[in-house]
Amino acid sequence: MTAVVEVSDLSKRFGQFTAIDRASFAIEENTIHGLLGRNGAGKTTLMQLMTGQDFASGGSIRLFGENPVENSRALSGVCFIKESQKYPEDFKAKHVLRSAPWFFPEWDAAYAERLVADFRLPLDRRIKKLSRGQLSAIGVIVGLASRAPLTFFDEPYLGLDAVARQIFYDRLLEDYASHPRTIVLSTHLIDEVSALLERVIVVDEGRIVIDSSAEDLRGSASIVAGPRATVDAFVDGRDVLHREQLGGLSSVTVARLSEAERSAAARAGLELAPVSLQQLIVRTTTSTSDKEWSQAS
Amino acid sequence: MNRRSRHTVDESRPIFVQIAEGIENDILSGVLAEETQVPSTNEFAAYYRINPATAGKGVNLLVDEGVLYKKRGIGMFVAEGSRATLAAKRREKFDSEFVRPLIAEAAKLGISRTELAELIRKEETS
Amino acid sequence: MTAATLAEASPHRRPSSGSRVLAVFRLHFVNPGTTIVIPWAILAFIFIVNVAIWALIFAAATSPSDRADAQEGTSWSGAATFLFAYMSVVAVQAVNTTFPFAQGYGVTRRDFYLGSSLVFVALSAMYAVGLTVLAEIETATDGWGFGAHMFTAVYYGDGPWFVRLGLFFALFLFFFFLGAAFATVFVRWKAIGMIVSFGAITLVLLAAIALVTLSDGWPAVGAWFGSTGINGVILWSLVPTAVAAVTGYLVLRGATPRN
Repeated sequence: MTAVVEVSDLSKRFGQFTAIDRASFAIEENTIHGLLGRNGAGKTTLMQLMTGQDFASGGSIRLFGENPVENSRALSGVCFIKESQKYPEDFKAKHVLRSAPWFFPEWDAAYAERLVADFRLPLDRRIKKLSRGQLSAIGVIVGLASRAPLTFFDEPYLGLDAVARQIFYDRLLEDYASHPRTIVLSTHLIDEVSALLERVIVVDEGRIVIDSSAEDLRGSASIVAGPRATVDAFVDGRDVLHREQLGGLSSVTVARLSEAERSAAARAGLELAPVSLQQLIVRTTTSTSDKEWSQAS
Repeated sequence: MNRRSRHTVDESRPIFVQIAEGIENDILSGVLAEETQVPSTNEFAAYYRINPATAGKGVNLLVDEGVLYKKRGIGMFVAEGSRATLAAKRREKFDSEFVRPLIAEAAKLGISRTELAELIRKEETS
Repeated sequence: MTAATLAEASPHRRPSSGSRVLAVFRLHFVNPGTTIVIPWAILAFIFIVNVAIWALIFAAATSPSDRADAQEGTSWSGAATFLFAYMSVVAVQAVNTTFPFAQGYGVTRRDFYLGSSLVFVALSAMYAVGLTVLAEIETATDGWGFGAHMFTAVYYGDGPWFVRLGLFFALFLFFFFLGAAFATVFVRWKAIGMIVSFGAITLVLLAAIALVTLSDGWPAVGAWFGSTGINGVILWSLVPTAVAAVTGYLVLRGATPRN
């Protein structure tokens, strides 16, 4: 498997605050990745570091095998779409679409036109006057039509309504199938995109807490439910992700259970339920204070 | 036991398994006849709105098991004899997936084995 | 895991750094409003206002001596200088809003700064040529029929047209790169940076003025200007312009989205 981005022991500090803490992972070629995590976890910082827009405090980054900082050759293969992109004074959407091809050798103008129609983007209106959804649409259109070998989408679809988001996901899948390339989607709307993802990287407070194939994660965790004492006895010593209590009943989310363990749980009279990708990720990324609370109770 | 419904994907189990199960169901029920062509990976991906690699993994699983085979340049086809093979495979799991849960539930409700057998016989005639 | 190279990932020929610099150059003109349309519009507006003022003045000044006074007065007109100062505004807009946008296009700071510098040179040339032409017309029409001066004000000397062209070009360049340098300070260090740099420069200037005043140096300064002449001043002005240009580049090199 070839990697288009290799991150090794990467750290980023802003004064006293450690935004990224010794992160190591790889972005694999021709794969759709989800870069997931809560707001403020460090997803945007990671992408800015990978594209040389920000400078690392420690560790290394290799973009197409090279250091991304001030590297116009490596960056010519990258398209980075942010949520809050600033546009030049008095720019209109048509100016964006006219200039984008100069920077993306793989740009497909006919495809861009079709997307403009799909998203109903007014080309001749000043960007300042566009609605939030139309503003997001520009970013999404540029990201898709660029056909860049590596495309980052940093939550650019937050301004889009549910219908437009679905159009984006559909177009993305369709174009990815016919023009395979490497895509990184960062979002906190996990359930909407999870079926699109092949690899999942979860960031929590600057650390990589999950780096796995999406399929491996689906159904890997289980909810064990039943009388509190029985549940506690069963999960003792295991990796507990989440606890819930209702009266004398307890339901606990645990990471992987083997077949033998599942039978043991069933024999003990406990109920087992599957955990979705979103639930797994949400429960893995609770804040430190939440974890302390749930351990104390 | 969850069987994948035709239109949605269950996010709490690996999706490629669900794709494979769906194709198996279609073969067993006769919707997909032997030696007919199966939709392409991209078609599956578009229909279920999933990643093509995931859809491909599900199809490849069935290719590895001999349920599907590839005709170069054309696509994936249902292998001859796969219906019988699948039925046999499912029959092995029938006991643990259906019979035991049925008995357990009946026991919970206080339905005796005899009553259970009677219910089944009644269904046969209706 | 092996690393994929860009050559393997895409069959398209990678653009050279030069072509990306050119792409940045074109980017500044995709929407020519800020860089071309508005400055000319402002100049036109100032000119029309001046014509109106001249019409009023010369209507009121009926005696020949009054007319001569008025004409001499206009030779001190600072009207056209506004265009020079406005170039700093254009540069600030160009850097401030186009840089984050270009970063989104994957442009390096170096390519952006080079491309923008080329834009400033090109614009300086265009406006210099324009003003020189207007100055020639002004002389030819004997001050637009009023005997007035706007483009041939005293500040621009009375040398041949190519000297005037050179002066205009150098002045425009200076204001462009001055604005660009401040803009890069803003991009990198935001408002705090601006305040600090303004403060620092003001202090330096005040110190210089104090020094010259205390050592009774003003006559010497005047003499230097006199002996250096217009040509010399033009050439010397390229020094602060170059300093501003280099400073801008060095500052921009450290600019990141966060700070």
